[in-house]
This record gives sequence, C-alpha cells and structure tokens, in this order.
Amino acid sequence: MKNPKSDLLQGTLDLLILRTLASGDMHGWGIAQRLQQVSQDVLQVNQGSLYPALYRLEQQGWISSSWGDSENNRRAKFYQLTRSGRKQLAEETATWERVATAVARVLQQA
Amino acid sequence: MTAFTLLRRLRGTIRTRGFEQQMDAELRSHLEFEIEERIRRGASPVEARAAALRTFGSLAQVKDECRDSWGIRTLDALWQDLRYAARNLRKYPSYTALVLLTLALGIGANTAIFSIVHAVLLRALPYASGDRLIEVRQRQPLAGNTEMGLSAKEIEDYRQQTASLDALVEYHLMGFNLLDGAGASRVQTGVVSYNFFDVIGVTPLLGRTFRADDDRKDAPAVLILSYAYWQNALGGDPHVIGRVFHMNDKVHTVVGVLPPVPQYPENNDVYMPVSACPFRSSAMMSEDRTMRMVSAIGRLRPGVGVERARSDLSVVARRMASAYPDAYPAAAGFDVTALTVKDELTKRARPTLLALLATTAFVLLLVCANVANLTIARLVGRARELALRTALGAERGRIARQLLTESTLLSLAGGALGVLLAWLARGLLVAFAARFTPRAGEIAIDGTVLLFAGIVSILTGLAFGLAPAFSRKRDRLDGLRDGPRAIAAPGLRARNALIVAQVAISFVLLIGAGLMVRSFINLARVDTGFTADHVLTMRVSLDFVKYDSEEKRRAFFRPFLDAIERQPGVRSAALSQSFPLDQSTPQWFNTTFSVAGHPALNGQPLPRADFKLASPSYFQTIGMTLLRGRWFTDADDERALAAVVNLSFARHHFGGTDPIGQRVSPDDGKHWITIVGIVNDVKQYGLATKPSDELYVPFVLGGPLSATVLVRTAGDPMASVGAVQAALRGVDPRQPLSEIETLEQVRTSALASPRLTAVLIALFAIVAVVITAAGIAGVVSFSVNQRTTEIGVRMALGATRSAVVGMIVRQGLAPVVAGLAVGAASAALLTRLASTLLFAVEPTDPSTFAAVLGVLTFVAFVACAAPARRAAAIDPMQALRAE
Repeated sequence: MKNPKSDLLQGTLDLLILRTLASGDMHGWGIAQRLQQVSQDVLQVNQGSLYPALYRLEQQGWISSSWGDSENNRRAKFYQLTRSGRKQLAEETATWERVATAVARVLQQA
Repeated sequence: MTAFTLLRRLRGTIRTRGFEQQMDAELRSHLEFEIEERIRRGASPVEARAAALRTFGSLAQVKDECRDSWGIRTLDALWQDLRYAARNLRKYPSYTALVLLTLALGIGANTAIFSIVHAVLLRALPYASGDRLIEVRQRQPLAGNTEMGLSAKEIEDYRQQTASLDALVEYHLMGFNLLDGAGASRVQTGVVSYNFFDVIGVTPLLGRTFRADDDRKDAPAVLILSYAYWQNALGGDPHVIGRVFHMNDKVHTVVGVLPPVPQYPENNDVYMPVSACPFRSSAMMSEDRTMRMVSAIGRLRPGVGVERARSDLSVVARRMASAYPDAYPAAAGFDVTALTVKDELTKRARPTLLALLATTAFVLLLVCANVANLTIARLVGRARELALRTALGAERGRIARQLLTESTLLSLAGGALGVLLAWLARGLLVAFAARFTPRAGEIAIDGTVLLFAGIVSILTGLAFGLAPAFSRKRDRLDGLRDGPRAIAAPGLRARNALIVAQVAISFVLLIGAGLMVRSFINLARVDTGFTADHVLTMRVSLDFVKYDSEEKRRAFFRPFLDAIERQPGVRSAALSQSFPLDQSTPQWFNTTFSVAGHPALNGQPLPRADFKLASPSYFQTIGMTLLRGRWFTDADDERALAAVVNLSFARHHFGGTDPIGQRVSPDDGKHWITIVGIVNDVKQYGLATKPSDELYVPFVLGGPLSATVLVRTAGDPMASVGAVQAALRGVDPRQPLSEIETLEQVRTSALASPRLTAVLIALFAIVAVVITAAGIAGVVSFSVNQRTTEIGVRMALGATRSAVVGMIVRQGLAPVVAGLAVGAASAALLTRLASTLLFAVEPTDPSTFAAVLGVLTFVAFVACAAPARRAAAIDPMQALRAE
C-alpha cells in the first residue's frame, strides 16, 4: 500500500506464479527456474520477492503447500494451485489481456 | 490503547515456531537446489555455494518480508481496521460517548442480573453432592395440613426402605442459650444426624464433622460452629477447636467450624448431634410416630432421579399407613413427596430473577436499536467518505468489515464499562438477592460472568453494526454522485423500523414497571389489622433445663411482664408466641379441634386452626380491634378456659351462627375452651397471604419455653430496650434477649423485596423511555434536516407553518403508533408470565395499559415537537438559495 509501483509489480508476479503452477505442482526454486526458462531469461525472479509472494498467495487461499521429495530426492516444499486460485488466475489473465491490449493500442495509435 | 499493544504481541505469537522452522527449511532447500544446479553446470562446490549465496541476497531480509506477507491478510488487516476505527470514533466524540454510555447501561444491567442468576439458579450447589440432595415432605391433604414434619420413627422407616436413597438425615431447629465467660447469648441451633454434613457434602474448614459415636446416648456433647457465627461472635478464633461452652446445663466442646457456604435448610449459629438435644432425645420424640417435628434430607443414589425417589417414598408411606392406622387417619389423607434442595433454596428468587433478566434483556435490545439508529445517522454523514473509499477500490466486504470493527470495538468498550458498573454494584446485588435466597453470598463477577459479558458485548456489536452495514449495500456509490441527500430515504426507512422496535420495547417495559409498582402500592396499602408504630418486639427463650416445668416457667413470665409494665415509658406490654409478619414462626403451627355439640362425622377430618398463646394485653398492645364479645382476662384461667377467635375463624367454622359462647376442644374433649370474643384478622404470615383461622388462648395456659415480648411505648420504641433488659435482669440475670426490632421495622422489611424489585424494573423502564424519546427526536430532526429544501418549496408554494408542523409531527408519530400497537400486543402476552409476581392487579390491567399508552404518546409527541417547530421556522428563501 505504501508504494503503488511495487503493488503493480507484485500483482504481475502473483499472476506469473499462478500461471506457472497451473502446469503442475512445483517448489519455490522450480518456479523461479521455470519463469526464467519460459521468459527466455527476461524475467529473473529475486528470492526476496518470490517467497513473500508465495506466502501471500497461500494466505489468500489461492495456492496450498505440502512437503515432498524432489526428483533428486531432496526434501522441498511444493506448491499447488487451489480451486479459488484457478478462478483467480482466470480472472487476472483476462484483466491482464485487456489491459495489455489497451496499452498496446495506446502505444500504437497515440 | 493497550488493546492495540496486545494485538501487536498476538501477531508475534501467531507466527509460531513451526512457521519459522518451515520457512528456514524451505529457503535452505532453495539454496541447495541453486548450488546443485551450478555444480551441474560445471562450477566447483565452493564457487557454486558462494555464487548461490550472492544471488540470494540478504537471507534476513527475505525472511522478514516472508513474515510480513504471511500476516498481512489476517492480523494486519484487523490491526488496520482497528486503528482506523479508533481514529474514527475519536473524530466523533459525542457519538462515541453517547453510544458508550447506553451500551454500558445495557450490558452492565445484563451482567449484573446475570451474575445473580448464575450464582443462584444456574450453578451447582456448593455441596459435594448438591445436585443429589432432596427434601422429604409429608402432608395430610384432606386435613389441610400441607407442611407437616416427620417423626423419628418415620425417618427410620424411610431410611431403611427407600432403595433410591443412599442416605437420609434429619434436621430440626432449636433456640438454646449458650453461656461462656462473657455471658449468655441466644444461639440458633441446628440439630442434625451425625452424618448430616458428610451426606450433604460439606467439609469442615477447621476440625471435623460429627461421628457416629458423638450420637451415642451419654456421649460427650459436641458442637460445630457456622462460619458466620465463628467470625462474628468469636472473632474467627483460629484455636476455637476444643473450646467449651455451657448449653442446657451441659458442657459442649467445639469440634469443627463450617466453611462459608449457604446453609440448608436455614442459617444457624451452631450445630449439635441429635443426642445432645434435650428435646429430641426425649422418649416421646423418639417413640411417638405422630411427633412430626423434624425435617428429612435425603441423598439420591448416583444416577437416580427425584421421580424415582418420590415413588419409592410413596410405597413406604402406604406401607406405614396400613401398619399404623392410628397414626395415619384415613380421613386426613396422607402422602409424601420429595423436592430437590436446589429448587427449594431458590424457589422464592426464581420468578423475580427471571423477570429482571427479561427486563434487562429488553433494555439491551432497546439499546441495540438505539445505537443502530445513531450509527445509521452517522453513516449518512460519512456517506462521502465511504463512497470515496469504494471508488478508490476498497472491497465491498472490507467496508462492511470496517463498520463491524467499529461497532464491535464500541460494544467491547461499552461492555467493559458495563462490567465495571456491575462490579461497583456488587454489594447492592448481594443485599438484594439475600432477601430471596441463602445463595446470595455466592454472587461474584467471575470468569463465567465475564464470558457472558464478553459474548453479550460482541453480539450487541454485531446486532447494531450489521443493520447499518447492510442498509448501505446499494447506495454506496450514490454518495459521490448526488451528495449526501440522495441516500436519506433508505436510511430513514431503517431508522423508522428501529423506532417501531424501540417504542414497542418501551411499552413492554413500562407495563412491567407499572404493574410492579401498582402491585407494590397495593401491598403497602394492605390493611394489616394491627398498628405497627411505637411497638417494640423481642424474644426471650428460657433455659430448657433450668425451667423444666410449666410452673417454673409461669413463675418467670408473670413477674417479668409485671416488671416491664412498671418501667417508665411503657404504655402496655404483652407476651405471645409470635407476632404478625414474624419471619421466624413456622407456618405449620396449626392443630385440629372439635366443636362441642358438633361431633365430627365418621370419616370426615377434624377442622384445623392456628392456636396462639397471648397474654390478655396482647390485642391492645398491637392495636387489634374487638368486633364482638369481650377480651379474655387473667381471671380466665384453667378453671374456665376462654379464647378469642379471629373473623376468619368465626366465618369458616361457624358460618351463620354466633360463635360466642361456643366451646371447642383441641384434645378430643379432654379440655373445652369457651369462645368469648371475636377480633379482626391480622396479616400473620405475609402481606400477600390470606389470613388464617386463628384462636387465641391465654399465654399462661401454655407455659411455653420461649415468648415474644411486645411493648407499646410512649416514645421511640428502641429507647425502651434498656428498660426491658433491666426488668429481665431483675427476674433472671442469666437470660438473654434476642431478635430485638420494632413492629414498624418488621412491616417495612416485609415490603422491602417487592419495593426493590419494583424500583429496579421502574428504573430500567425510565431509562428505556428516555432512550426512546431521544431516538424519536433524533429521527425526526434528521428528516427535517434532510428535507430543508422540500419544506422550503412547500412553504414558498403556500403551505402554512402549522401545516408544516402537522406534517412533521404526523410523519414522526407514524412509527410510534405502529410501535404502540406492537408493544401493547406483546405486553398483553408477556405479562401473563409474570402474574406470580403481582399482587391484587391483573396482568392485563386496563388502567395500567391506558396510562402507559398515554405516557408514551405524550413523550413521543414532545420528542417530535421540537424538530417540528424548527421545521416551521425554516425561511423558504434561504432554504431555496442554499440549494
């Protein structure tokens, strides 16, 4: 609330995390890797933003977590999307697309 | 703002150790993944670790941010809401103060009354087996004998044959003179079975309870002291065990002190086992089945209900009646029942307490309605602020939650003030409840009461917070578009509905208060049949052992009475067994008798009446009136027994015939008493109780052990106590005087509890009416403010000022009329429930209803008048220009 700019970035990160988890359960490091991969290294997520975001999303009930073993047998905390998380993802995606289209239109025509 | 500091701490503790450990493990596993990945890409382990740590940044900072985001949705939002609420309330100090005051009154009244109800009606008895205790009662219903004691033989039978009871103990009350170094004092003594305290489940504070060998014949006499007697008479002496006192010419040793629990059946000074009581241990008492002088308290076997015990006892009673037909005449009827001790201890308090609880609940409902009303009014003022917050993106739920946080904060603060009020009033509460029940001493503002106050506060906050929060659902954004006036209509509708509720509740409360006050006035105006002023009463009880024959007692009382009459300031003096409204006389002092020339028909029970002993001067001393015949005199002695009867006796037993000259016999014709006069009825057992049939015989004939001394004085009766004491010392210096009070005090104390109840309910009703009047005035003046322009237009178009006043008053009174109708209907239904509390007034008394209707209409009219006058004073030009 103190800093509207960070609020905006936070919202975007939330959306990206939700989207990433939509393709499967993942631990924090995995999410960061995946974002980096898919965005072809454009989006590099700082741990200082990633984990607070995950905790916040869990508090809101959009994701839930459980401890499990990773593919190389390391204990890790896995996150999964909840039902209300899916709904939130759908809504935010729609909003994002609308805003993105609008911004694109402004950039092209103004 | 200590509540806030508390919350801040709460936030810290909720982030449990589990959270910290999990966060630690998670972040560490992240690092490990990172290191592994770098090694996989070809870095050395040391390099990989250093690089991973570098990209991770400050671990402490990450953790901090994680902690923050974990708390942000729940506690931080609450924290924000609370801070915001507090700031808002500070901005409206008059609203806040008004709301806090009404809430404190409402919640405080409920807390106070609940603390009594909790201690007296709800909590288990403070005895280990409290809920299993019953009292066994016998009656002879056909003979009108409803409360007859039990005899020792009967108790034995019940004890041996009632399977549902695992113990049955006996109790009776005696007054004895207790002598120690300092002098003589009169002690009220409970005479009990040796296992009495073990059965009811009271553990002594000091020493021990009685043992079986204390109850043996010729066992050394022992005493147990009540807590109050130990404290008051012996100064709480810690070494009291083993101390000796002289009673009934025997040495009694103190073996125990009771804890401060309510005593059942009554509060006594000391207790002794059956064997130590000279009266109870006589052969007549232990052998004669009809000497029914003691009470019996039983303990149910675990898991057995009181109904089982009742039917078991009845079986035994039928068996006894057929085995000893002489002791149980069929004509009198005979049955037995059992009542739980818990109900017996509280039966007098129950109706009053429930009525008070209902009253305070109504007051609280009214408070909720009133605060909701104030809150809606304030929300209209805040419409712009709320609309702005909505426009800026505050969620719908968040704003409702904000409003609820404010109302809950208010109600909790009001509740805290209310608890403070209840706590300040606790002394009054105990004094009030003590008039109804021996359990009053248990009243305390304890955990349960605080929990009750907390729950009531929160519910109150929700109740008055929800209405406004939801009434604003639709019009939240309108506030911005049209300015504050656009949302006036829905607010006003809700407020009018609340006025209907307030008026209805006030109606019910006023009716309750009106009925209680009228019933109190009726009670105070009751013709008691005697003159209470300038009469002193006291009791003299002779030493059982020293005065062991009737001759000796007469030799004491005659000179004693003469000595009192010789004292200066004494107009007349009398001796009797009791006096009117005397709380300590048992009600079952009545006897059967036969009338000469009218033998009882076979199978018909004999008539019953109260036989009272009174010296000839008794009637004049308390101002009774001779209706016919003559008083008896000292000349009416054993050779010519004479009696005076009261009007009820004459009516019931002689109907149309003249009782004067008729003879009655209390002992099947062994002695005949001639009726020589008729006196007026007096209220013997209570102001609300019908007079019983009474027959007075000369005091000297009975030769009783104890007597009430009545003295009519020229001046202040209490000033003559010394004179009576001097007279007593002259006759026997070792005799104490007790129960010294004036007849006026006796009469006043008989009125004290109905007066207190009436005053309390009336106070609540007045508070209710004041709150309601303020509510009506508030709504009307609110609507006048909202409609300034409209009224201006009306006046500009030619409406007269009186037409405007009429319109405002009419519209203001509309919800009042609806409320009066609802209130009258509810009151008519509800007051029936309270009919046991009323004396000589119908629950639907038309004049009370009419008076309440008048008062409320008048109050509502006055409440509308001031804002209506303000409306009439509106300057049309100015009102229009302002728009």
